[in-house]
Amino acid sequence: MNAGENDGEGAVLLCGEVRTCLLPAHQALDIRAAAQLLRLRADERVLVSERPNLYARSPDTLTGVDCPLPSATGAKVRAVGAVAVRGTLTEGRVLQTSARLGLTARGPDHRRPWGHYLVRPGTLEPFGRLPREAVAEGVLAGARRGELDVGLIADGLLTVLLRHPLLDQHPPFKSRPTRLRWTALPAAPGAPGPSIERLTLAEDELRTLRLRVPPGADPAEVAGLCEDLALHDWLLTTVVRLLDGSRLGSADGTAVVRALRPAVDHLLHLWMPRARLEPSLAALWDALEERPGFNRQWQVLVRRIRDQLALHAVPALHQEAVMAP
Amino acid sequence: MTEAVFRETTAEPRTQAVPLSHLSLELGHLYMEDFEAGPERLRRHFAQVVHWAEAVRETARAETGKRPRISTCFLIDDYFTRFSTPRELVPILLAEAERAGLDIDYLARESGCAEAEGAPVAEAVAGRLVEAPPPGAYGARPPAGQTGWLANGERSPVARTPQAMKKAIPWQAPRETAARQHSVFLDVELWSERPGGRKLWSCPFLAAVWQLARLGLLRNEGEAVLTPRPHEGPFPDDWDEMPPLLQLRSRAAPFAAYRTCSVLPNRFLPVEHAVRVILDQTEVDPGALQQVAARSAGEGVAVPASVADRISYVFYAGQ
Repeated sequence: MNAGENDGEGAVLLCGEVRTCLLPAHQALDIRAAAQLLRLRADERVLVSERPNLYARSPDTLTGVDCPLPSATGAKVRAVGAVAVRGTLTEGRVLQTSARLGLTARGPDHRRPWGHYLVRPGTLEPFGRLPREAVAEGVLAGARRGELDVGLIADGLLTVLLRHPLLDQHPPFKSRPTRLRWTALPAAPGAPGPSIERLTLAEDELRTLRLRVPPGADPAEVAGLCEDLALHDWLLTTVVRLLDGSRLGSADGTAVVRALRPAVDHLLHLWMPRARLEPSLAALWDALEERPGFNRQWQVLVRRIRDQLALHAVPALHQEAVMAP
Repeated sequence: MTEAVFRETTAEPRTQAVPLSHLSLELGHLYMEDFEAGPERLRRHFAQVVHWAEAVRETARAETGKRPRISTCFLIDDYFTRFSTPRELVPILLAEAERAGLDIDYLARESGCAEAEGAPVAEAVAGRLVEAPPPGAYGARPPAGQTGWLANGERSPVARTPQAMKKAIPWQAPRETAARQHSVFLDVELWSERPGGRKLWSCPFLAAVWQLARLGLLRNEGEAVLTPRPHEGPFPDDWDEMPPLLQLRSRAAPFAAYRTCSVLPNRFLPVEHAVRVILDQTEVDPGALQQVAARSAGEGVAVPASVADRISYVFYAGQ
């Protein structure tokens, strides 16, 4: 199914972090340039897809770690392995980096030769038994210094990609990057399928997501779901902020149009939830439709933008109406 | 899962499969100094190798419990120094092997491990190096590695000239990550820079690539690289005209194999230690790895999971 079928072998806790930001380039990249940007390895193709939208994904690269895991109970559990990280570009406009790993239930109490971990990319082995609930909570709460920090790994790749010479560093509008930190524990036996336990919007553009997935779920697919959620959450956040800054009603027409135009030019066509998700994971979107209603909010925002633009597209009529007694 | 109705081939990873033997047995490397020493040197080499080769075959038979597929290969250096021509050298080499009772199935050129038929093989493998993390590595960007070098542990901190009023920092030992009590620290030079900025790959690095080729684990964009070409007609006058991997015997077992064994004089020991250090820190193509795992499981052959554990050596006393 995926290049990394080995990864997460026997994993009982998956976790990761996704960074999402606007590509700092005046023009959106076409699919060839996208493939060039994401070519992290000389011998591996960038996966590109044109249906249902333009999408490119880099091969996975690995970062070795050997450190204590964050844990809610303060338990010090050391783990060793290689964290997988990849980059994606959607419609040549939204850049994401996503680091992920799976932890096995237990491991030996010594470090094995490094080659052992490299044939299990994305899988970390704890020293001894893994207190998975405590570690899952610890990961979402954030690592303390010296503890495994998946976000730093996603950040590392993002920094590299943002420096690429293809990018002119002139984004068409201002926006803020977001971070989505996630964990996935195995669903209880007999559970109908994967589920979202908690999605939290914290300050500082941080979102945390706690999932339950069927045992043996492919970590790359679960990361794909989280990337999809992160992308759409970023779109909502960014469009809300554009509308916020446009001072609808009070400002003059040209100012409103100038403020809203980036949304129309660069963002409105990007909304396409569950475009490439594995069907059982795609079903998780339904839960988000209930609450907080991602799609509903987006539709309202789009309608508002269109209404505003329509209103300001008829300045003459507008003027007349105001002038009439 | 049901077959998807819609597919995009560019959106799916694919990895070409290669045929596999049980064992790839290397009968030697040939460098210019060996050639300059005359055919007697080759004769002495093969006279030693033949006994070890038989022992290796016997071991493989005992391990597989049946007639194992074993292919033999020989590597000629045309990368570091160019000497002689294929037309002159290869027949001598084959004659000496035959005299000792050895058959060479595949002949490879070392420069094929740097670049093979347009594929940047060495560069690609260099891009797949994942340095072993020292204890304490938590995901922060790794300290800038010594570019072009790879170690099996942590280097000694750089000693600086002590400034006035400051204490000199005492020397600190390097440390092998997998050390048991004491370290055997090794720092391998992977490449140096040629005039003009192009890389000159080191002998251990190319030897590591050579091992990966023999293990059937090299791919370029999913395609197999260093695939054997059948030998036809006389040997050419220029090394560049010879395919990087030549199949000399049409009925030979497949070139790539689950495991490798190399019979070499013991002057190669440091190089091959370095090869293990490199292979231990190389993430090979996961698709290729999986194909080997599936195929070996299918025929009930145990293959070590770790790539570095799939290679073995016989070092004999001599030059």
